[in-house]
Amino acid sequence: MVKLNVLNLEKSEYKGGKSSLCPGCGHDQISNIIIQAAWENGIKPEGIAKMSGIGCSSKTPAYFLAKSHGFNTVHGRMPSVTTGANMVNKDLSFIAVSGDGDTASIGIGQFIHAIRRNLDMVYIIENNGVYGLTKGQYSATVEKGSKKKKGTANEQAPIDLCAMAVNLGCTFVARSFSGSKKQLTALLRAAMSHRGMAIIDVISPCVTFANNDESYRSYNYVKSNDEVLHIVDYIPHFSPLSEVEVPEGEFSDISLFDGSTLRLETVSDDHDPRDAVAALRAIHEATQDGRHVTGLLYYNPDQPTATDTLGLTQTPLMGLSEDELRPSPESLEEVNAGFRAR
Amino acid sequence: MDKIYNDFTINVATANGTGSQSANLIILHSLFEMGVPVSGKNLFPSNISGLPTWFIIRASDRGYQAPGDETNIQIVMNKDTWEKDLASLDPGTIIIYNEDAKLPVDRDDCICLGMPMTTMARGISPKMARLMANMYYVGGIAHLLGIEEDSIASAVEQQFRGKENAISMNLQAISEARSYASENWGDVSRYSVQSREKSDETFLIEGNEATALGCIYGGINMLSWYPITPSSSLAESIIKWIPKLRQGEDGGSTCAVVQAEDELAAAGMVLGAGWAGGRGMTCTSGPGISLMSEFIGLFYFSEVPGVIWDINRTGPSTGLPTRTQQGDLAMCYEASHGDTQHIVLIPGTVDECFEFGWRAFDYAERFQTLVFGFGDLDLGMNRWSTSGFVYPDQDMDRGKVIRTQKEMDAIPNFGRYRDVDGDGIAHRTLPGSGLAPILYRGTGHDEDGIYSEDPQVYYEAMQRLKRKIDGSRDILPAPVIREEDEGDVGIIFYGSMENSIVEIDDLLEERGLSVSTCRVRALPYHSEVEQFIERHDRVVVMEINRDGQLYGILRKELPSHLIPKVHSVAYSDGLPPKAREYANRVFEVLEG
Repeated sequence: MVKLNVLNLEKSEYKGGKSSLCPGCGHDQISNIIIQAAWENGIKPEGIAKMSGIGCSSKTPAYFLAKSHGFNTVHGRMPSVTTGANMVNKDLSFIAVSGDGDTASIGIGQFIHAIRRNLDMVYIIENNGVYGLTKGQYSATVEKGSKKKKGTANEQAPIDLCAMAVNLGCTFVARSFSGSKKQLTALLRAAMSHRGMAIIDVISPCVTFANNDESYRSYNYVKSNDEVLHIVDYIPHFSPLSEVEVPEGEFSDISLFDGSTLRLETVSDDHDPRDAVAALRAIHEATQDGRHVTGLLYYNPDQPTATDTLGLTQTPLMGLSEDELRPSPESLEEVNAGFRAR
Repeated sequence: MDKIYNDFTINVATANGTGSQSANLIILHSLFEMGVPVSGKNLFPSNISGLPTWFIIRASDRGYQAPGDETNIQIVMNKDTWEKDLASLDPGTIIIYNEDAKLPVDRDDCICLGMPMTTMARGISPKMARLMANMYYVGGIAHLLGIEEDSIASAVEQQFRGKENAISMNLQAISEARSYASENWGDVSRYSVQSREKSDETFLIEGNEATALGCIYGGINMLSWYPITPSSSLAESIIKWIPKLRQGEDGGSTCAVVQAEDELAAAGMVLGAGWAGGRGMTCTSGPGISLMSEFIGLFYFSEVPGVIWDINRTGPSTGLPTRTQQGDLAMCYEASHGDTQHIVLIPGTVDECFEFGWRAFDYAERFQTLVFGFGDLDLGMNRWSTSGFVYPDQDMDRGKVIRTQKEMDAIPNFGRYRDVDGDGIAHRTLPGSGLAPILYRGTGHDEDGIYSEDPQVYYEAMQRLKRKIDGSRDILPAPVIREEDEGDVGIIFYGSMENSIVEIDDLLEERGLSVSTCRVRALPYHSEVEQFIERHDRVVVMEINRDGQLYGILRKELPSHLIPKVHSVAYSDGLPPKAREYANRVFEVLEG
């Protein structure tokens, strides 16, 4: 029997076109997880807007959610286009894909300001440390000492996008790995249930240019250096929490905007995602040891979003009628009269 | 003494930030109150306080609004420019100066009238003496020209609306100065004012505020902007007027306003808004257009509606940020890499600022493309006369947007970029609708919006885009043509030069040259522009830039037999156009 989600839709309703990325690319695994998460969460495909910039990662919206509108914009400028669309239609669910070049270099300004505004969107960074489409130049997120397949090791300090996002007060900051299907699916489902800016920095190995063992972002390296903060389990709002099996060990629950829950099961040390300093410490300590910390780093719910702060009318602005958009002839007469009376 | 009525130019030289703007506007508005046709131009520096600033007031019964070619009354208040201000004057000029500056006025050939302005102001308010000193030249001018006391009082009240203390102190200062001038200067001025019947309808307004109102009546629902002179007051006017004119039923706003991180992001937000079915707009100046060019190409190629107002300032680069120019025309028309072409609306009056403010959105949605509003500092930041804005005479044109499955079913072989109507304009659907979703892109795409590198697909897509924009020519505002029966010479001009054309026309007429004029109001240019050129033996394209940018566009697009008769008069020094400068150059070109 075909499995259906809460909207009675098959998973195929969430699929996209055929990928043109290199076989084995981590990005394709992320695309599959996006399909899985959107389907499992029961989001209407037509209510989603897929956004991206330019690069290997930014091509992927063609490979998932074919029933959603999307915009493959220009390099590093996806956040501003998303902002404009969000301003006139705050009811859309924005799922955006960017890369490390797109976000950490050319687009770092827009990335920062989208966080500052708490734009209501899911922002996935498919982070492989290299520019793939232009054949393997280092990006700004690659670790010092990491070495891609050809050329010399990178000598410059990396930009850690999660640390930056935590510092900026981003309301949902997570890191994961394209090879960790369960963890990434849960985090992505939680991000989709969040209201505000949700960033997931996903380490996604570039199989063509940087999957050698000297690369800190190769499959082998990440698999053996993944410092998991906690086991994450997503419990959707439509399945009662009481019916979910309680874990044996310690755990804590995070309540999400739509009523869903993200359950964090303690692995070794307890991590409180409300604690920005703890999040930064976890990132810095892992970096010092040459490891990647993954999980929900930081969560700061109930912050006003970009549209909340503007005091907009309830109806999405694109849905307003001409009567609501064009003031009356009488009002213009009053405007004229007001100037004449000055 | 024979008096010259309502025909003079006053130049006020002050320092920025000394409160002189209030004094200057009081002179301007008091003349306006008397029905004297008057215009004011603020030549200000890129600075908040201290650098020199000049305000030029032109009164002219003939309706001349260009800054006069000579100064008839010079007010000198600024020590830094004192010597230069005085040296540039013609013999016979009336000079009003602040004696407290304690600087020499060595112009025996002029009428030099001093007043201890700061000392007198100290008598009213020691603390405010520096600001109040300016009101003394207002009183001096009021005496010399014979400005009615009622008009002065009304202008002061308007300037300091609701601040009773300020009104009474300033009126006292002006009154003291008037008495001082009457006792010490006497009746020395050839220049005087006479009341004219003033229409109750008319008022003065800056172009940027007029444009802002137009945008609001055009249904703007997303404004993104990054502050830049001289466009900031356009955005700020929208922000000021939206709550008064456009509240939703629940009291919420119907226009989102985002102060962007830079012009690039501002343009991206307009694109996002247009894509999602909104009416997005941003305003900027030349440096902003340079930054926005990346997105402007994406608007063009992905066919998303949006509006950008470019309030030109003097370029290139940072240029003269507080001076005017028509230097961005060629850039706006073809901004961004590759083959592009954009609709440009060019208002020449504040009435047109309002009208093109709302029309821009209709054209943008109709043609699914970016529309530029093209203003400049002179029109945007100076005050011009109108008899009131006219309500839109057409319903909003939302373009070919498919909103229901039924509408979709009625279109044979729908594709986002398939031209089913033969006008180059395809149908679009909006995100959230679930109707024929596609992934919009700035990369090559076929008629269904799917990525394509196919040579024929690319070629045909680009030909269709050309056809689409070309199809806007005769739908966009037609040129304003003033035709002389016997004229063999035609003058083509655009934008804020409208304010100088009457005077230029008279100067040419004085020297025996009768010309027809054609004011271009949009690009791509209307077919009537070409017909105008056909009808005249010689045509001069007059504009405020160095290279003759409209001239270049015409040379590129006109049929080749018309090109030899088209000539260029292009001049720019950062200041608003002086009529004589252009008239002389027209003769040079025609005689050459």
